[in-house]
Amino acid sequence: MSVFVLAGTRKGLFLLESDEERQDWSLEGPLLTGWSVFHAIVDPRDGTIHAATNNEVYGATTHRSADRGQTWTRAEELGLPEDTGLTLEKTWHIEPGREGEDGRLWLGAAPGVLFRTDDGGGTWQPVDGIVRHETRDRWFPGAGGMCCHSIALDPEEPERMYVGISAAGVFRTEDGGETWTPANRGTAADFLPDPFPELGQCVHKLLVHPTRPDRLWQQNHCGVYRSDDRGEHWERLEGNGLPSGFGFPLALDHRRPDAAFVIPEESAENRVTCDGRLGVYRTDDGGASWSLLAGGLPQPAWGAVMREGFSSDRLDPAGIYLGTQSGSLFVSPDAGETWLEAASQLPPILSVEAAEWR
Amino acid sequence: MAVVLLPSILAAEAGGASRFEPDAATVRDALQALPVANLVFDERGELRPLVNVYVDGIDVRGRDGVDTTLEGSETIRLVAAIAGG
Repeated sequence: MSVFVLAGTRKGLFLLESDEERQDWSLEGPLLTGWSVFHAIVDPRDGTIHAATNNEVYGATTHRSADRGQTWTRAEELGLPEDTGLTLEKTWHIEPGREGEDGRLWLGAAPGVLFRTDDGGGTWQPVDGIVRHETRDRWFPGAGGMCCHSIALDPEEPERMYVGISAAGVFRTEDGGETWTPANRGTAADFLPDPFPELGQCVHKLLVHPTRPDRLWQQNHCGVYRSDDRGEHWERLEGNGLPSGFGFPLALDHRRPDAAFVIPEESAENRVTCDGRLGVYRTDDGGASWSLLAGGLPQPAWGAVMREGFSSDRLDPAGIYLGTQSGSLFVSPDAGETWLEAASQLPPILSVEAAEWR
Repeated sequence: MAVVLLPSILAAEAGGASRFEPDAATVRDALQALPVANLVFDERGELRPLVNVYVDGIDVRGRDGVDTTLEGSETIRLVAAIAGG
């Protein structure tokens, strides 16, 4: 078995490959030359690589490769209806559908929009329940634009899924994407007059645990949160070992629902690593306490990790992967205990995903 | 027929071909016939603002834009605006 890491950068896509030990890595790339790869992921159903790609001149699109990056095909149809008054700005995140949903994937994009494809990424249809949501006039963009960056599918209930949009908050659907309900109760929006509104929260990353579907984790502009009831209520998880509640990326351990990983930044005003070191913080008790994991990570260091620049694999122990804006790709083969630099001097890393290919 | 010349990123997206000879009456028709038309035009059919189009060396924005008519012997060159880092 091979372990692959897809590192999307501001200037193309890089592929890293190792074996199950995850100690020695080969590097291939750049692929998709000329494109900023906001996110790239392997569809576990068929091995196709899908990438959310953006170019300042030629716009926002997606690419896919069925031959591990040797050749690429661009989306044929991707846009927003004229009567919405919206135009596509950036593509942000691609989420493969479930086993049995052949050809279905989801695409999050700016300005706060969601698309679905049923033909494997050839044509993308806007999801009206998000694009025309009745609260859209109360959404506003964060510094990265009004991006739909998180798409989380309930692993057991086929009609339930979640999206995270900055800054609109978390939304949940129970009917396969037809209708969406804000799911932000208990999450703060300290930058608004009402710090606990129905929506308007700046979620930075949202994940659902694959083996405990009712459990969601969220890194927010205003704290780290966990929900054990599908986003009905959120509990803030800081002041217990985390140096800051501010940060962007979030990763989970696929085998341990009480574990989560974050990379805090000093503050919203000063977006650098805490204490001048690149540090991953892990909880093993559902967020009750957090421990610094920095063995092998650089110090001093101030380079930040983008919201998509953090990921985990499905092996045991879990491999954890992070890519920095300064172009380093760090790997932990032991759930964060130790780290090695698998690549350096890449362009600024925007996204990291791991995949296993047999 | 007019000749359309593509820059490298568009040529890569067109399967490696950088030269096309579409049978077209206007610049718009010529560009819409390209396999990269959805990179040259946005979802509203507007020429993307950082894509410059030159017909025999003259920027079409100084003529009739993409509605500039063609006689059939022109060279159309697409040039990405100089921007970014």
